[in-house]
Amino acid sequence: MISWRTFLGLAGACAALLACSNDPYPARDAQQKILYSSFSSAPRTLDPAVAYSVVDHMVTGNVYDTLLEYHFLKRPYQLIPGLAMEVPEAEILEDGRARYRFSLREEILFQEDPCFTHFHPGTKTRRVTAHDMVFSLQRIADPKVNSPISSTLIRILGFAEFGKRLQQMRDESEAFAALPVHGQYEEAGGIEGVRASGDLDLEIVLDSAYPQLLYWFAMPFTTPLPWEAVVYYDGNEGRNAFEEHPVGTGPFILSTYDKYARIVFDRNPNWYGALHPEWQAPGATYPSEGEAGDGEAGLLDPEYVGRPLPLIDRIEFRMEKEDIPSFAKFLQGYYDASGVIQESFNMVVQEDNLSDEMVELGVDLVKSVSPDIYYLGFNMDDPVVGHKAGERGRKLRQAMSLMVDTEGYTERFANKRGIPAQSLLPPGLFGFDESYRNPYRQVDLAHAKRLMEEAGYPGGIDPNTGRAIRLTFDTPDPSAQGRARYQFFVDSWRKLGVDVEIAATNYNQFQEKVGNGAYQLFMWGWVADYPDPENFLFLLHGPNGRTASGGPNTANFNHARYSELFLQMKDMPNSPERALLIDEMLKILEVERPWIELFHRENYALYHHWLANVKPVGLSFSTLKYRDLDAPLRARWREDHNHPIRWPLFLVVLLFAAMMVRGVQTYLEERQ
Amino acid sequence: MLIQAHVISNYVVAALVVGVLLLGIGILRSRLWRRSLGTLVKRRPIALGIVFLYILIALLDSVSWVGGTHMGSRGSEGADLVSLQEPQSVIDRFFPRDFQEEGYAHPFSSTHFYTDKALRYPGRHILGTDINGRDVFHLSLSGARIALLVGGLTSLIVIPIALFFGICAGYFGGRVDDAVFYILSTLASIPNILLLIVLVQAMGKGTLQVCIALGITSWVGFCRLARGESLKLRELDFVRSARALGASETRIIFRHILPNLMHLVLITFVLLFSGLVLSEATLSFLGIGIDESWGQMVDLARLELARDPVVYWNFFGAFAALFGMILPVNMLGDTLRDILDPRTLSEDS
Amino acid sequence: MIAYIVRRLLHGVGIVLGVLGLLFILFFTVTSPEGMATKALGEKAPPEAIAQWVTNHGYDRPLFWNPESWSDTLLVDHYYSMLSFDFGRSDADDRPIMDRIKQGAKPSLYLTVPLFFIGLFLSLSGAMLVAFFRGTFIDKAGLVVSVLAMSIPTMVYIIAGQYILGKVLLWFPISGFDRDPTMVWKFLMLPVIVGMIESLGGGVRFYRTVFLEESNRDYVRTARAKGCGELQLMTHHVLGNAMIPLLTQVVVAIPHLFLGALLTESFFGIPGLGAAMVEAIHGNDFSTLRALVFIGCLLFIVAQIVTDIAYTVVDPRVRLK
Repeated sequence: MISWRTFLGLAGACAALLACSNDPYPARDAQQKILYSSFSSAPRTLDPAVAYSVVDHMVTGNVYDTLLEYHFLKRPYQLIPGLAMEVPEAEILEDGRARYRFSLREEILFQEDPCFTHFHPGTKTRRVTAHDMVFSLQRIADPKVNSPISSTLIRILGFAEFGKRLQQMRDESEAFAALPVHGQYEEAGGIEGVRASGDLDLEIVLDSAYPQLLYWFAMPFTTPLPWEAVVYYDGNEGRNAFEEHPVGTGPFILSTYDKYARIVFDRNPNWYGALHPEWQAPGATYPSEGEAGDGEAGLLDPEYVGRPLPLIDRIEFRMEKEDIPSFAKFLQGYYDASGVIQESFNMVVQEDNLSDEMVELGVDLVKSVSPDIYYLGFNMDDPVVGHKAGERGRKLRQAMSLMVDTEGYTERFANKRGIPAQSLLPPGLFGFDESYRNPYRQVDLAHAKRLMEEAGYPGGIDPNTGRAIRLTFDTPDPSAQGRARYQFFVDSWRKLGVDVEIAATNYNQFQEKVGNGAYQLFMWGWVADYPDPENFLFLLHGPNGRTASGGPNTANFNHARYSELFLQMKDMPNSPERALLIDEMLKILEVERPWIELFHRENYALYHHWLANVKPVGLSFSTLKYRDLDAPLRARWREDHNHPIRWPLFLVVLLFAAMMVRGVQTYLEERQ
Repeated sequence: MLIQAHVISNYVVAALVVGVLLLGIGILRSRLWRRSLGTLVKRRPIALGIVFLYILIALLDSVSWVGGTHMGSRGSEGADLVSLQEPQSVIDRFFPRDFQEEGYAHPFSSTHFYTDKALRYPGRHILGTDINGRDVFHLSLSGARIALLVGGLTSLIVIPIALFFGICAGYFGGRVDDAVFYILSTLASIPNILLLIVLVQAMGKGTLQVCIALGITSWVGFCRLARGESLKLRELDFVRSARALGASETRIIFRHILPNLMHLVLITFVLLFSGLVLSEATLSFLGIGIDESWGQMVDLARLELARDPVVYWNFFGAFAALFGMILPVNMLGDTLRDILDPRTLSEDS
Repeated sequence: MIAYIVRRLLHGVGIVLGVLGLLFILFFTVTSPEGMATKALGEKAPPEAIAQWVTNHGYDRPLFWNPESWSDTLLVDHYYSMLSFDFGRSDADDRPIMDRIKQGAKPSLYLTVPLFFIGLFLSLSGAMLVAFFRGTFIDKAGLVVSVLAMSIPTMVYIIAGQYILGKVLLWFPISGFDRDPTMVWKFLMLPVIVGMIESLGGGVRFYRTVFLEESNRDYVRTARAKGCGELQLMTHHVLGNAMIPLLTQVVVAIPHLFLGALLTESFFGIPGLGAAMVEAIHGNDFSTLRALVFIGCLLFIVAQIVTDIAYTVVDPRVRLK
């Protein structure tokens, strides 16, 4: 009988529904010190020489230690020693060359891994020496590795030559190419400017002083690497590939790497901080001082100051592609921290503070400004808006810049999370002037209209065609959301009589347009690699032009005086003279307007009250070793806040039954 | 002087209207068709009315010219200078020229949703405004044009091609049939949605591109049907006798085969139409839909639904407009099939 | 018989070659490798790295004709790699595509197999119910509801399901996945329920037509005239004879079973092949997309051949064409 079967099935389904809970984690983990977090796209690679995206660093930052680190609390960012004993200073040699000497800590061990057993039977790990640093830097120079920072480190003596030599020897001799990589590097003679002068001493020689070099030693690119891991994990014979199986010295070990679903880290028992808490090493101890306000924010709790790190036992990252379900899970207590999604902003934040609802849930909020800049750029190679249009083009750019209301934009699309940018330098960087107001970044319709007249486009009419001047806004984001955002700018320029068309194409076509210089207006963002103004000002350095050289200067801005000033400023230590140079550069940009600076992002991070020591960082480095959490409190809270509501289920069953009864009735009546 | 795009589109609309009218007159001259259509009108008057309303809106939105006035405009400073030179459609003219606020507004509200700032047109936005302050009712009406374009243009591409190949294959058989059958099976072997995605990825974004992609993916089913039917018709007595009397192949096809496929064309057109509009919605989610379509509005609005307090009117506007069209079209399709062809198509849908 | 099978197989091979040709045109002639490289390496990658990437991936070779060696072209490579199932490496993360497929197939099947069978069962029961009560208000209401259900976009079902069942009623985890078999069912409940409700409308409507058509046949009338009960009629005669359209429907669904549900997987965070496909689309990962599309087509073609042959075995009157 079908109906019986149907009923049985329904009853079974109901039973299953009744038994279900919304807890996504196994019950046995409830009391553990596990930090739960989410990620929205799979990491591309875990090879530290290549990994550059935020998700990549989310993994590599926990597994790989660096010679230097950023101070957890202090702002502006300050470097502290990590694996190195201290932060080195440049020594200028007679011929103008500069030398940096790092001395590594003794007795640092790699995490335990089968690759060590394979090459040195009977051992599971190995001590870290300066040679591992040399090997790591050689890998960056290796053209086969294709590291994105190989051109940045080119100022190290013999760096480029080493890469070329390596390539040449590989092409010439098959026997050479068959050697394991560390053998190849040795045979090729290594990099002239990178030498291990002792077991623990690393010497780096550059063609001239390069103060920003130290920042690169605070990024996972330059972590010490065991050649054993690189050679052993080659992806053959069932062995994993090195870019999927990191072997490092960091506070955590990657224990599960299911990169499309789940990434898990466990404490590394071999970490120097865990083996030698008595060292009180700066990178392995909770700091005792911070910036103003950290004390009040509970970040200098005596419970934590001076405690050895890490404070949690395990980190679980789960894939969440859509942020709405992810945020809902945060509110249910299944993630410990979360950003504020735009959709829920008004529920979470009221008048710049947490809403009562959130306070009642026990959620806390921290805000921070990220060292980045979002901007609209003009392609300066374009005949209408660029250099060739001379004064006319400049006036047009100025007029358009005067129309863009950043606050209106952030209010609509980012809940006012964003500091309207006056120049390209974000707050907290050397050269940033809080009192500076860019005269072309205030909304002024009358002034803009006047400029349009002076530019020869009265009321936006182009005298050549008798119609509104027509520009194209190129974007690689064809989504409806993107379109709504760009429409905001288009609408404001329409008031000026400038007709801007949004050309949304797929990523490939956009790149092609940029490569060919066939674009006019675009929106872009830049996040600092390291906290130095050079990392922003070089974005408009003439020789870095995108169309001509494929460089990062997407606006193709080329201004002789600016470039001259840039070259002077770039390697200077921070000083009043440097500030003057930067000032002059910003003044040039103010008038020239290759960019319309929009905003620096403001991050709002939410976290539950059981989580401690949350301080957001704008730069890409991991601070999870500083976090702590109260697992029993969390377990109780979750239980209190997740009671399923079951009555609708009974209602549905009842409705269905009623309908069946009624149907059978009608049927029987009709048969008679 | 260069003829502007909107002028061309006006002529195209006029030509289409005249064409459809002529076709309608032609169809009504046949008694069989008249009777079928009479039944349809009797059985689904409301659905038919709604569909006509949509078509009317879409047509009115396709006729546009530069200059002229808008209803209820009031001059205000900070107005949009560009729109003065842009062609405005009849539908646009039912709304003031500067019918735009500074962000979300609740339906019939007199202030903005997130701030207390007064609206420029308090109480006049019957479906509220979207994130950029544009009137949702206006946007929903304009979506009808895109939907009709997607459904109509694609069908215009699909049906002649499918008919041509279908009839050729079915009627002539042999090598021609083999070739057509091969192309059909090849295309049919690629799951529809995949082929669509790949095609749009390859051709790029744009109305015409999306229509072509939808056309390529959807002509297969109808072509098969046409092939099967003409295969059957070829063997029927009246075709045989026409051939025996020495009628040319072209004549047979145009006089005997094609007219007997017309009911299939009509039914397919109606059923295809709603499928195409829904496919466009899926493409919109993947970011490769058509700008300002209902699909894109729904895609944009799905995030707004998660807003707290909820912004529902955008979703409601687009969804109601989409649903209000698909539902009557689906119902008409069902009824048409019942009336015109109770057997052939039932297994194929 | 053998001749027919051989012919059918050859025809299948021809179609596979045709599909490959089409894919080659779509994937190779219209894309720029530099764009793919920039997407893969990130905006900050220097031009040397981009050039190196293009060389490493072999995209700098000629498309159709190489005067030095006829086999060293992208076209030959494309056919060779696809037909030998050596899909190479992903354009996005350089991992072997086959690994991704192996990893993704299981979650996809976890989702689609129960979804398919429960959906089929419910659609059939629903259709039978509606057909059984044909002409009564249940039939009419059922039809209206199914047309209604068919007119709602998939996205709306998913959002509503997550909101109502996950966020308000707190029955299930809103999203996520776990490879641990003791945990996985928990994550599957919500997507399966949502997918089921979504497919119900079309399913009921389709099978109702099939059943009604079948129940108007002469043999059913004869059975009814002989006094066979209405219920028995439905379960024994009608259902049995409706198997052929049902089987066709199943075959059409096979590639979708394997490839998962594009939107459902993305929204629920299930790391299956459907999600992989959406990722490949967004990430410009053409080599993965190509492999996935090819596998989908291949499964479909194979399934078709198998059913065609099965039909002929069952009923020799049915032949190709």
